[in-house]
Amino acid sequence: MFRSIAITGFIAVIAGTILHFAVSKPKFDDVFGKDRSLRILDPLRLVVFLKTLLFVEQKWSLVGVLRKLVFLLAILCFVVLVVTGFVPNIFLEKSITGWWLMIHATFAPIFAACLAALAVLWADKNRLDKNYWPWWLNRALLRQPGSTTPAEKYELGLKISFWTILVLSLPMILSAVLGTFALFGTDGQRVLLQIHRYSTLLLSLFAIIYLELAALTEMNRTASK
Amino acid sequence: MSKALLLVVVLVTGVAAGVEEKLGDTPDGSRSNFVHLIPLLSEPLPGKEPDQIHPDSDPMLPFSTKATCGACHSYDKISAGWHFNATDSNVNPGRNGQAWIYADPTSATQIPLSYRNWPGTFRPEQIGLTPVAFLQTFGRQMPGGAIGEMVDKSDNPEEVLKSEVTGKLEINCLACHDGNPGQDMGGGSGYSINVMRGNYRWAATASCEFAYVTGSVKGLPNEYNFRAPYVSDSKLKPPAVAYRKEAFGHNDWVGFDIRLEPPKPRCYFCHSNVDVRDGKTEKWFTDEDVHLAAGLICADCHRNGLDHNIIRGYASEPCNSTNPIAANASCEGCHIGTKGEKPDGGRFTAPTPKHAGIPTVHFDKLTCTACHSGPWPANETIRTKTARAHALGIAGANKSGDVLPHLLYPVFARGQDGKIGVFKLFWPAYWASMVDGNVVPLDIETVKSAASRTITKAAFSKTGSWPDLAEEDVAKILMTLDSKAAAGAKAVYITSGKMYSFDIDAGKLISANNKAAAPYMWPIAHDVRPAARSLGVRNCQDCHAINSPFLFGLVSGDSPLKSAAAGARMIKFENLPKRATEWFAWSFMFRPMFKIVSILASVVIIGVLAYYLLKALGFAARAFAGKD
Repeated sequence: MFRSIAITGFIAVIAGTILHFAVSKPKFDDVFGKDRSLRILDPLRLVVFLKTLLFVEQKWSLVGVLRKLVFLLAILCFVVLVVTGFVPNIFLEKSITGWWLMIHATFAPIFAACLAALAVLWADKNRLDKNYWPWWLNRALLRQPGSTTPAEKYELGLKISFWTILVLSLPMILSAVLGTFALFGTDGQRVLLQIHRYSTLLLSLFAIIYLELAALTEMNRTASK
Repeated sequence: MSKALLLVVVLVTGVAAGVEEKLGDTPDGSRSNFVHLIPLLSEPLPGKEPDQIHPDSDPMLPFSTKATCGACHSYDKISAGWHFNATDSNVNPGRNGQAWIYADPTSATQIPLSYRNWPGTFRPEQIGLTPVAFLQTFGRQMPGGAIGEMVDKSDNPEEVLKSEVTGKLEINCLACHDGNPGQDMGGGSGYSINVMRGNYRWAATASCEFAYVTGSVKGLPNEYNFRAPYVSDSKLKPPAVAYRKEAFGHNDWVGFDIRLEPPKPRCYFCHSNVDVRDGKTEKWFTDEDVHLAAGLICADCHRNGLDHNIIRGYASEPCNSTNPIAANASCEGCHIGTKGEKPDGGRFTAPTPKHAGIPTVHFDKLTCTACHSGPWPANETIRTKTARAHALGIAGANKSGDVLPHLLYPVFARGQDGKIGVFKLFWPAYWASMVDGNVVPLDIETVKSAASRTITKAAFSKTGSWPDLAEEDVAKILMTLDSKAAAGAKAVYITSGKMYSFDIDAGKLISANNKAAAPYMWPIAHDVRPAARSLGVRNCQDCHAINSPFLFGLVSGDSPLKSAAAGARMIKFENLPKRATEWFAWSFMFRPMFKIVSILASVVIIGVLAYYLLKALGFAARAFAGKD
């Protein structure tokens, strides 16, 4: 059953983000300039641009360097963990064992540490401050949210995704690590495994959404300059 | 109408005649012991009823279990049971078990034999063992029936004629069901000795506590009649029975202490096991199975009805057995239950295991016995002796720890069900003929004859172990066998996982791999260790460590040829990838670091979430209070 849900979830979210990106992205003329040559290479320009987004704005301070390194390392660990965690289950229809498990268990604590560091370094930037209060109130009372810039619109989605990822990281990490202690019996181990699977799946989906929204936000910022 | 009525009567009578049920076939449900005060009956003449044996009968005949016990219990139904049906080719052999091991140091042979055609075994006739020869060697620890009742069907005409003298080895019901401590299976004049003497007709009587059998059928002429036991040659001592007169009571009936559930010593006579430590076999070095120590007896789990279709107790047995409660009598069946319509675990107060901290993947890949059975694994396998392989419990048995066959355990290997379990193993050693790539063992007498000039008494071991053999000796024997071999056949010697043959051109012994040289293994379940001694009870590194015996222990080689006894690592038997397993075991060194980093990361994340959540709560409280 988890396999079906995972496949459905990934297909739905990836398809949805691609569609949303295609519909919502700013015009290439605004992003890459009207004077660009060889317009047939625009898709390649887009790929390169998205890759450069990985090199987040860096301030030449210790915190700035750390923030950048932690983010890059987190992305790398995320990709490795998603591949080693989901490929055996979804494509090979077997549990994670052998080399898959070793790589997964090697990158897992690194990813956990990166998440903790990201939590500390990015929490303040992603906090939902009091300026969002009117927006929340309007939503709660089913009123019109009021005018917002595209950047703000994605900003809210980004921030919600960020906090959701942080919240989901707790059951994901704890379900894995608590299973290594002699606390839970067989039934408990099964429950922990299911918690780990589903929290990881949800976290992965929100991470994909976060990355898509981050890309859109940066493109809009570039286009508006 | 009258014809229809006649047909009904005939049908009912026919049905009744075909399924005649005897007095003792169906129990009434009482859990108390049924007192067996019964007449002793002798083997009947063909077509006649059996005669009762009286304390003053002359001649004094042995009692027949088929007649005596069979008077109330359907012998034919019982003889279809597991202990007695090895020769029935229609019986599903199920999971392979301990084979009979023909071990002969004079020919450097130890070879697994079975009538059940388990993979890796050979049929006794393949090495030239007739039914009588088989009984001579192994009948000591057989309960009778099966091949014991086929001595008159031997291919050897001499044995067929002799079967009138020896009688048949009937099922000895007392071997299991006699509760009297005087039941003599292995003593100097008990069951086993009489079987080995060929006194099949007298063996069950000899086992009885109120009977004594002397003499032997050896040397008796084929026309000897046990009902008129007189011989002219005074040197011959035909079998003679003496009963204790006090055993006979009213009507000259005898009281048997019959137990529906065999007491432990009965089972132990054939199913004992002792580890060899420092060359010695002291049973007080180790504890018995935890189930027995807890008060259970063998028959609590290994049950059967009249059909004697005994539960063997392995997980996939329900697929092979018609015993209706086979599923509930395995480890999981008792301790966890079968997850059927109603809860059925916890039999005999069996504790439900928590298996705290053990990921569930272990239960897909390992049997229960892998962690719970046999001795705690050491860096190298140890030798063990079993009752059936080494005649334990029989007067005159070789007590040396070195005597053949050399059984090794615990061996962790992948079983027929695909799971890793614990096994006993031995490396077959035998002389064979290779024809068109097929390896066929040679007749043992032919081998003994060929080997006798090379393996002389000087080479024999005092302990009954392998003779002192060099490669040249093996080469000589192979050359002798080759000289007698048929065209296209090549003599080979299988030992310690290799096949040796003599290369005439090179003038030396060459070895090769061949599946015929594979070790013979059978899964074990006993002795079960207590939970406090199960693998993994301390930590994961009981198994997942670079020096763990479970993965990297050595399965010793065993061969009369010193150069051949190389052995192999457990990992080979477990069919695990070497590199990945080594790295995985090594990675457990970093497990504490994994735990610490993950927990610290979780603490930090909880801290961040708590901090901002509290801030949000504070703002919300102020907002609702109209202060912000």
